[in-house]
Amino acid sequence: MPFDLNFLIRLIPALLEGAEVTVELAVLTMLICVVWGLVVALAQATPGPLSWIAGGYIQVVRNTPLLVQMYLVYFGLSMIGMGLSGFASGLLALCIQNGGYMAEIYRGGLQSISLRQYEAGRALGMRRWTLYTSVIMPQVVARVIPPLTNQAISITKDTAQVAAIAVMDIMKVAQVWVESSANTYDVFLGAGLIYLCLTTVISLGGRIAERRLAFAS
Amino acid sequence: MENTLNDALSLATDPPVVQQRPMLAMSGIAKWFGANQVLKGVSLTVAKGEAVVVIGPSGSGKTTLLRCINLLEDYEDGIVAVDGEPIGYFVDARGKRQRMGERDLAAAREHVGIVFQSYNLFPHMTVLQNIVAAPIRVRGIPRAKAEARARDLLAMVGLTDKEQAYPVRLSGGQQQRVAIARALAMDPKIMLFDEVTSALDPELVGEVLAAMQQLARDGMTMIVVTHEMSFARDVADRVVFMDGGLIVEEGKPEQMFTAPRTDRVRQFLKRYNDRYRL
Amino acid sequence: MKTFAPLLHSYWYLFRGAGMTLLMASAAVVPATLLGVLLALVQVFGRRAARSAVLAYLFIMRGIPLLVLLTFVYYLLPLTGIDLPPFWGVVLVLAFYYAAFMSEAFRAGILSLPQAQWDAAKSLGMPRYLMLRIVIFPQALRLAAPPFISLCVNLVKATSLVSIVGLWELTMASREVVERTLAPFQIFLGAAFLYFCICYALALYGKYLERRALVGH
Repeated sequence: MPFDLNFLIRLIPALLEGAEVTVELAVLTMLICVVWGLVVALAQATPGPLSWIAGGYIQVVRNTPLLVQMYLVYFGLSMIGMGLSGFASGLLALCIQNGGYMAEIYRGGLQSISLRQYEAGRALGMRRWTLYTSVIMPQVVARVIPPLTNQAISITKDTAQVAAIAVMDIMKVAQVWVESSANTYDVFLGAGLIYLCLTTVISLGGRIAERRLAFAS
Repeated sequence: MENTLNDALSLATDPPVVQQRPMLAMSGIAKWFGANQVLKGVSLTVAKGEAVVVIGPSGSGKTTLLRCINLLEDYEDGIVAVDGEPIGYFVDARGKRQRMGERDLAAAREHVGIVFQSYNLFPHMTVLQNIVAAPIRVRGIPRAKAEARARDLLAMVGLTDKEQAYPVRLSGGQQQRVAIARALAMDPKIMLFDEVTSALDPELVGEVLAAMQQLARDGMTMIVVTHEMSFARDVADRVVFMDGGLIVEEGKPEQMFTAPRTDRVRQFLKRYNDRYRL
Repeated sequence: MKTFAPLLHSYWYLFRGAGMTLLMASAAVVPATLLGVLLALVQVFGRRAARSAVLAYLFIMRGIPLLVLLTFVYYLLPLTGIDLPPFWGVVLVLAFYYAAFMSEAFRAGILSLPQAQWDAAKSLGMPRYLMLRIVIFPQALRLAAPPFISLCVNLVKATSLVSIVGLWELTMASREVVERTLAPFQIFLGAAFLYFCICYALALYGKYLERRALVGH
């Protein structure tokens, strides 16, 4: 494959423009899901019908493909007259799916705290709120950082699927450029490298957070 | 004054009476954990059929020494031989100390049975499978023969009815007796016991010690690291006291427990007696 | 009921698509598992150079979206002149991609066995291969089974991505039906339901294995 500098000079800015969309989607999804996942996890932990609904939601979104969820939101909603843009549809589908995963991560974190921690807190006369904010949650946060980091990486990679609903992210830009030129290698090398950079930044960030929050274990 | 003299004398251990090739010969075993030397050139010889009990405060290197014998723990200097055959390290023709290849090491380990503090049974195998796995697959003994032998061993440790049980269903004492049977099934030349009763509930200690006592009576060569002083007193042919990575004193149990020659042993026994009313 | 008429007319077509999805996932899971075990073994027991090579491989697979890899291979295969049917092309990509994640599950399974198990096996004079086969693997595989199953669920869901590069399976089949019937909501809902049936069945099996692993025997 001939190395074409001119081609690269035009390609790289285009890919970076796509990267902007990818990053926006990933960051928004992550921010929304950190909260949404906690809501779902707490709903599931609350006895009653809410727990059922939350549990059902988690099972449904985890056991159906993101791509089909995106099609449902993008094409399905427009059919019933609630059409969303590609970007909004993609974001919504990403949040719906990853909310389920995040809820499971929180649940795992909460379950990993030994009952003795609650007993010890209560024995010291702590109120519920103090117990949670000063004893339980700091430990939960430390435990969920590694799986949250993995989830952030997987969200970033999953954003590539919005290319299927015509959002100009890295993936879609790469597709367009491959079809309009013959430099398959350059385009995919570029796209792959950008994704690698993004995911590496996330995993480094996760590792730093992990170290900051590490105690005892 | 007298004490220090005695201490100095006892460091040079009694000259061993060599009638035959020793079953175990360790010489100059030295081991570091980082900058911390945990074994400072320990030498120990055990005759065939002898039961040696190793006592000493925790952190004295007893367990480490035991684990060095079959190289579960690596060590930086010294060599070990079981029944005259090197295990772990050997000295080559040019006098250089060499580590054995994995295959030779595995073969040498067959002759050394070890029972661990935490039993270490294989949880996915039944009691019988635990016992026959190595004899069948390592030594190539036919299944029927291996199982017959396993049943004999189970009878010896009093667990005839448990052969189809999985380890999680057994009490600690039962698991430990299975572990003894498993090690014996390889027909080892020497048995090592690493604080085998320390993890047990007090009421289960007796059944395990009884099995070990029976073994000693049957003439098995064994080294027992333990905190059970009564076992040392009743069963041992020789007691070895370790402290700070060295053998400080060794001798017959009656002499060790009634007239120790060093202060350190005296203090150790006093502290022990104060706590347990021996 | 009339609303779902398009789905009722085309369910047989969707079933066939689901069959293809299952076929594709099954074809990929076998090489993915074998390669995953191999990579895990190299990572635990390999020499330093081999371990680094595996780490580089994992880094790339964990850092680049599956869709990028699929698209790359889709454009690349014709260029290289390798005469591989597209079905096997995507199956291989899926296998190589998921092998990376499976190796992590197996590696964690092997490493989470206590040192004591190795000691016991060694002290019985077992050579390394025997130790692995009868002591380490049976336990490590049991520990790795739940994460392995959830990776299988992910693999089934990921087959939907091959529709983007033009292969026919459940998602592609539902898109075709949508184009004919103009009823995206109902059809994609139907497709999602079929995916759910496959994945949830797998997930339940995983739950069962997990419970069994916890109980012991």
